[in-house]
Amino acid sequence: MDYLDGVIVLLVVLGLVGIGIYAIMVSRNLIKIIIGMQVMVKGVLLAFVLAGRVSGNMGLGQSLALTVIVVDTIVAVVALALAVRVRRRFGTLDPRALTTLRR
Amino acid sequence: MVNGWLLLPIGVPWLGCLAVWLVGDRKPRLQHTLAVIFSVLAGATGLALIPWSSQRATLLLPLGGVFDDFRLATDGLSVFLTVVATVIGSLAVIFSVDYMHGEHSLGRYYAFVLFFIGSMSGLVLTTSLLWMFVFWELTALCSYALIAFHNDDPKAVRGGVKALIMTQLGGLGLLFGALWLYAYTGSYDINQFLGNPNVVPPAVLSWMAFGFLIAAAAKSAQFPFQTWLPDAMEAPTPVSALIHAATMVNAGVYLLARFYPAFEAVPGWRLAVMIVGMLSALLAALMALVAFDLKRVLAYSTVSQLGFMVYAVGAGGVFASQFHLMSHSVFKALLFLGAGAVIHGLGTRDMRQMGGLRQSMPFTHAVFMLGALALAGIPILNGFWSKELILEAGLGHGNPAWIAWLMILSTGLTAAYTVRMVSLVFYGNGSKHHHEAHDAGMAMRTALLPLAAGTLSTWLLLGPFYTALKSSLPYHTLELGTVWEEVVKVAGSPEWGMTLGVGMEILREPSTYLVLCVVIVGLVAWLGRSRLASLIATFKGVEKAAQASFGFEAINEAVVQAVQKTGEALRVTQTGYLAWNVFAILLGWLVVLILTMLGRAS
Repeated sequence: MDYLDGVIVLLVVLGLVGIGIYAIMVSRNLIKIIIGMQVMVKGVLLAFVLAGRVSGNMGLGQSLALTVIVVDTIVAVVALALAVRVRRRFGTLDPRALTTLRR
Repeated sequence: MVNGWLLLPIGVPWLGCLAVWLVGDRKPRLQHTLAVIFSVLAGATGLALIPWSSQRATLLLPLGGVFDDFRLATDGLSVFLTVVATVIGSLAVIFSVDYMHGEHSLGRYYAFVLFFIGSMSGLVLTTSLLWMFVFWELTALCSYALIAFHNDDPKAVRGGVKALIMTQLGGLGLLFGALWLYAYTGSYDINQFLGNPNVVPPAVLSWMAFGFLIAAAAKSAQFPFQTWLPDAMEAPTPVSALIHAATMVNAGVYLLARFYPAFEAVPGWRLAVMIVGMLSALLAALMALVAFDLKRVLAYSTVSQLGFMVYAVGAGGVFASQFHLMSHSVFKALLFLGAGAVIHGLGTRDMRQMGGLRQSMPFTHAVFMLGALALAGIPILNGFWSKELILEAGLGHGNPAWIAWLMILSTGLTAAYTVRMVSLVFYGNGSKHHHEAHDAGMAMRTALLPLAAGTLSTWLLLGPFYTALKSSLPYHTLELGTVWEEVVKVAGSPEWGMTLGVGMEILREPSTYLVLCVVIVGLVAWLGRSRLASLIATFKGVEKAAQASFGFEAINEAVVQAVQKTGEALRVTQTGYLAWNVFAILLGWLVVLILTMLGRAS
């Protein structure tokens, strides 16, 4: 893998993370937000693998990526469960309804 | 592995904490029994460390790179404070059997008391600054939880929160000190630092020194943080005796004494320590003179006596301060537990409703008098010897004389407020309450008797304690004077002979008689106060100021209000909208990125 490949992967990482953050910021549906979060984390996964490759420590990067996959799955499950609860309680999936903690 | 013993004073109370917690509140009898068994066991393990007090036994548990290794070591200072924590802890637990009889949630109470005893042992036994910080905060947590033990009483909860926040300020000073030490030496080892404090640049060393002074002042309720201790008196009385008189509040003095060799040479540090101690001793003594709540008087008196210890450290009398710490732990625990017996018997803490308890509570009266006389500094009780040592250290060593004179004035005030307290509680005409009063119960007596015996006799330990400290603290210069060395030669045995020698030396010092005179003037001034009415009237302003705790409560209030106002003002930024939060995170990330790039560029 030469330098250019690394740059391309990095751009993909930035793209995935950017798409994820954009989705989180603009969606008004919790499910879409969770999907955005997933996209973002996929970008981070790629970044781990890339970092492992660049630093010549492939094993570490891959094992970190695997750990993140496991954690990310759990996060997604819990987030979806919360979304279900939110829908039942507030009757909507709009995150703007969830401002009751403010006061 | 004999050094595994070192874990016991921490482990045994913590095991007990778990056990009492798991038993559950349905079986209060079993909880009482278990708590007593485990605390007495802890006391035994503490006492078992005494043979190691004059040598260095170490224990190292490697914990990897992130945290420092868990290091424990014995020396005179740590063993003696462990003994104080575990033994007085066990006595406080025994006392609680009567005092807390029939209370709710005993599991929570005993669990935190036992947890505290273990944490306090850890705090003094560890030689790693990071772990010291951890234990330091654990003791603060226990103190908070126990002050707010009656959590349906808003006053208690407020007192607990106040104590927690103010001691956190001190914890911050300690944490910064620890991190600086790590940044410059790559290790948290205290003894390595004491051996060579110059590895840290002078500017940073003085930051550390003053940070530790703030830490000590907050923990020991010294000026200007003294306001949390009186409010901490909402705690059950055995807790006040254990945590807020005998052990935790001493942690600050211990910290200063432990690091004295490193900070000794920092310009202005010793003077600052002396002034902090002097102001605490003087102001708190004045406040004790006008308070009417029995426990608050004792709390102010604790602040005042801690001020003596802090002053002694600043004056170069590390040994004097530690010796007073020992005496004070014993007689103040005795006073607090005695006050607990009075409060338990009467159901009130207001001294104006007491009086004449001499007849109805003869036992409590006897032991309380002993503690009070020791506090006032009457000869042959332990408070006398240690206070003399402190004042002697203050008058020598080329220390500023005006501070020493103010300390002597505080000694007189101590005598005056002690007499006032005793006469209000035990003498005079009995009020309506005292017919119903009952004397201390069996468990209370069991706890009070050893403390009374200790008040009479711990000064005999002066010699052994001194030799233990001298042989195990390589970086401290401890001195008592020159006369005792000759006496020791004559007396032969270096340890017990030294007690005799120091005693002789103290009796020969002119300052002793000076101080005794001041004590007697203080006593007479209180007893003859009606004759001195016109003189007292001129000090009306001082009384008013003292009752308003010299404006420090007002400063506290102002700070609290300011923080609340700022919080309300910042509420606008909390919209609760996810998009805004993500946007703020991105913004923060950008700032960090720019900062790192700037750092890289320069």
